[in-house]
Amino acid sequence: MNDPRPDVDMLRSGDAKAEVDVDMEVDIGPIISVDRLSKHFRVRRHHRGRLGWARDLVTREHTLVRAVDEVSFAIRPGELVGYLGPNGAGKSTTIKMLTGLLVPTGGELQVAGRLPWRERRRHVAGLGAVFGQRTTLWWDLPVIQSLELLRHVYRVPEKRWRSNLDDFRALLDLDVFIDTPVRQLSLGQRMRADLAAALLHDPPLLFLDEPTIGLDVVAKDRIRRFIRHVNAERGTTVLLTTHDLSDVEKLCRRVMIIDRGKLLYDGSLADLRARFGGRRELVVDLAPDAELDLAALDLPPGLPPGAVEIAGREGPRWRLAFERDALSASTLITALSAQVPVRDLEVREPDIEATVRRIYEERLLEGGGAEDEGADGMRGVEVS
Amino acid sequence: MIVELGLYRRMLGATVRSLMQHRVSFFMQLISATLITLVEFGALVLVLQRFDGVGGWSIGEVAMLYGFVAASFKLLETVGAGFDPHDFGDQVRLGRFDQILLRPAGLVTQVLAGKFDLHRIGQVVEGFVIFGVGVALAGVVWTPEKLAYLPLVFVGQMAFFAGLYLMGSTITFWTVDAIEAMNVLTYGGQEMMSYPMHIYQPWLRRTFTYFIPAIFLNYYPALYLLDRPDPLGMPAWAPFIAPLVGLALLLVAWRFWRFGLRHYQSTGS
Amino acid sequence: MRLQLELVRLAFRRHLAYRAAALAGLATNFFFGLLRAAVMVALYGERQEMQGVTLEAAITYTGLSQAVIGPLAMFSWLEVTRAVHSGEVASDLLKPMGYYGFWLARDVGRALATFLWRSVTILLAYVFMFRLLAPPGAKFVLPESLAQWLAVVLACCLAWWVSFSWRFLANVSAFWSPDARGIVRLAFIFSWFASGFIMPLRFYPDWVVELCMLTPFPHTVNSIVEIYLGLLSGPEILATLGLQLAWGLALCGACLLALRAGVRRLVILGG
Repeated sequence: MNDPRPDVDMLRSGDAKAEVDVDMEVDIGPIISVDRLSKHFRVRRHHRGRLGWARDLVTREHTLVRAVDEVSFAIRPGELVGYLGPNGAGKSTTIKMLTGLLVPTGGELQVAGRLPWRERRRHVAGLGAVFGQRTTLWWDLPVIQSLELLRHVYRVPEKRWRSNLDDFRALLDLDVFIDTPVRQLSLGQRMRADLAAALLHDPPLLFLDEPTIGLDVVAKDRIRRFIRHVNAERGTTVLLTTHDLSDVEKLCRRVMIIDRGKLLYDGSLADLRARFGGRRELVVDLAPDAELDLAALDLPPGLPPGAVEIAGREGPRWRLAFERDALSASTLITALSAQVPVRDLEVREPDIEATVRRIYEERLLEGGGAEDEGADGMRGVEVS
Repeated sequence: MIVELGLYRRMLGATVRSLMQHRVSFFMQLISATLITLVEFGALVLVLQRFDGVGGWSIGEVAMLYGFVAASFKLLETVGAGFDPHDFGDQVRLGRFDQILLRPAGLVTQVLAGKFDLHRIGQVVEGFVIFGVGVALAGVVWTPEKLAYLPLVFVGQMAFFAGLYLMGSTITFWTVDAIEAMNVLTYGGQEMMSYPMHIYQPWLRRTFTYFIPAIFLNYYPALYLLDRPDPLGMPAWAPFIAPLVGLALLLVAWRFWRFGLRHYQSTGS
Repeated sequence: MRLQLELVRLAFRRHLAYRAAALAGLATNFFFGLLRAAVMVALYGERQEMQGVTLEAAITYTGLSQAVIGPLAMFSWLEVTRAVHSGEVASDLLKPMGYYGFWLARDVGRALATFLWRSVTILLAYVFMFRLLAPPGAKFVLPESLAQWLAVVLACCLAWWVSFSWRFLANVSAFWSPDARGIVRLAFIFSWFASGFIMPLRFYPDWVVELCMLTPFPHTVNSIVEIYLGLLSGPEILATLGLQLAWGLALCGACLLALRAGVRRLVILGG
């Protein structure tokens, strides 16, 4: 593909540290660089009790909430990074600082060489954002009118806009609903429209916040394929915040995990899975009086110890934890069914909470899990 | 503050097209709004007839006051609907203001273009008609200076209400509770300026002379138009500072708005 | 019956809870009352009375006018419209008492709550700050006899009933039209004028008053005002109360009929 932008060619070579052609003045330092970034909120605590409202008028108690606590990372152009964390972990707060909506309390932050909150217009002109919960489009107007309006907002040259639009129409199958008012779209269609809208102005950086939430499997898959395409073909740097580990598994090579304001993990997904996240859960409903004998299961030989364990039992419902790398779900199911009649079953993937819990439990990270943060149970408050 | 006219026009077009998607609702609102002013003014006229004017001012003269400030306020409500504190507060609360911050266009441009209360246009027209009728009844003697000054007074009044709107909207960065009190200043202000202000008790009048100088926005210009003597003994330039007063308030409101924005960026919503 | 009392209590508590907004609302009330009192004084000028209303009474009227805003929901009431359009009505209609009765009970709670914190406060403010509003020597007008007080209380209750009933009836249009809001709004606009909320009806020409009397609206605010300010003789008071009662019954009947038709329509259309 003849892409007129030289940096994209270079990125596709796979190594962002490739030699710089001296004729091209392209800066290939990190596109996002964050150093000991912090965001603290002082939350007013209301007095309790009957005359609490009166005491509120006189004195004020504050608690300091560390929504983001000395987080550091760097993202290079062209990366597709997953940013995970339980609710209230500090994800949205970080994103708000990266997009310029919030001013940090401490630390340093640079996006594309700028301070986001200082140079608002120039900064946001270079980024696209999609929020799973809200649309950026005009509710009552056909999608195409929103896209045309955004062309003017972002001052995209007509030809470029049209060529991008044609691309997206094909990739996202927009023609089906491009003339439909946004309020009449299904969630999946709306997400596709929002994605197109976010990318029409060729932003080098794309923020995605829960882009597949609420979608069915087919729709999720389509969105993920598009994101992968955009990252690979256009070199768009993507930061994907999500609650959903399967999003990450399908898209990201690199994963960052944040919890209670602190960055717990920053590395490859493969590494994460190898160290913490390998266990899946098979939930089976057996007959009320049936008993399961793990030792007697006809499993493949050579399984490592603890590859399959009974995680719990509630009446006829048994939960088995098994290592994903050790054996497949179907192998386990076959072995089980040979021993006892299985009435119903479900395979559950580890969710981010479970993985985070595991990280804490295993205390396998230096610094992150060592402190006892459970004392007051205070989590970074998500202010959104 | 640079309002990008081109982009404003386009975004406004989108807003109006969205409005027109709900045509029936729009027309009902248009009828309601027009009726409200009709009923209110009708009641005023009936009562003024009974009482033979008020404070020594005839029906025509009061109509001038009423119509002019109605036109300016309703026009501001139409064009500046995005900054109606109630609406703006909703936007902030629902996170739509964040969307606005994420677009590379002026904030004021986007907020203004995002809402347009076209259904109030009937009220604006009514205001002008009432003013016109009042002028005819009161027998205003026109001079070129008076005619030239009239649009300036209008702008001054609009700027005044715009300033109130902007301040009310800025307050919503902190709290939504005080919005109802803003009604006192906007609707209350409009009602208060609809009557010759010498009728008010001294303490009330002084508040609206020295604290919120609304008296210079409608009453004094009217004295000038009607060639009426000033019963309050203000300086001779009193009728001519309407545009300055309005713009001064707008300026103060603007500074407050910038302050509110900074606060919003450090604490989120 | 117990269920209705419970509804009253809940609505009452809910409305008492919004403190900051409440204070702002009170400030608004007082300011507008102030403004209108000043206009009254100016209108009267040298006059001592107009159509039987003294200046004191007229200024008192401005306070009464502000006081009724809360309990009589003078500016807007769209609860039923909202319930119908949102579909909530489907579950509400299953409740053991009539839909009209259901909302009646809730409105009692709402009206009582607003009366207590808003109306009473405004009236007290008027009593204590009358000097600010009126020429020296003028006093806030109060009913003179126990009988008059009783009549006022009765008029208030009936006024609330008439008000609730026409508000309910206007809202019932929601069963037919998605633009019920517009219809209700129109009704409210007419009510401001015809109820004597902007000015005492006596101040308007007779033909205007006669037209207004064709609507239920004067039998809310205006009835209370006339009885309270002692503008009516004994038999006239009874006649006024009687008219309020008659309108209340008529509107209640209309509501029940319209409701039945509306529900039937909803059921046929499948909600």
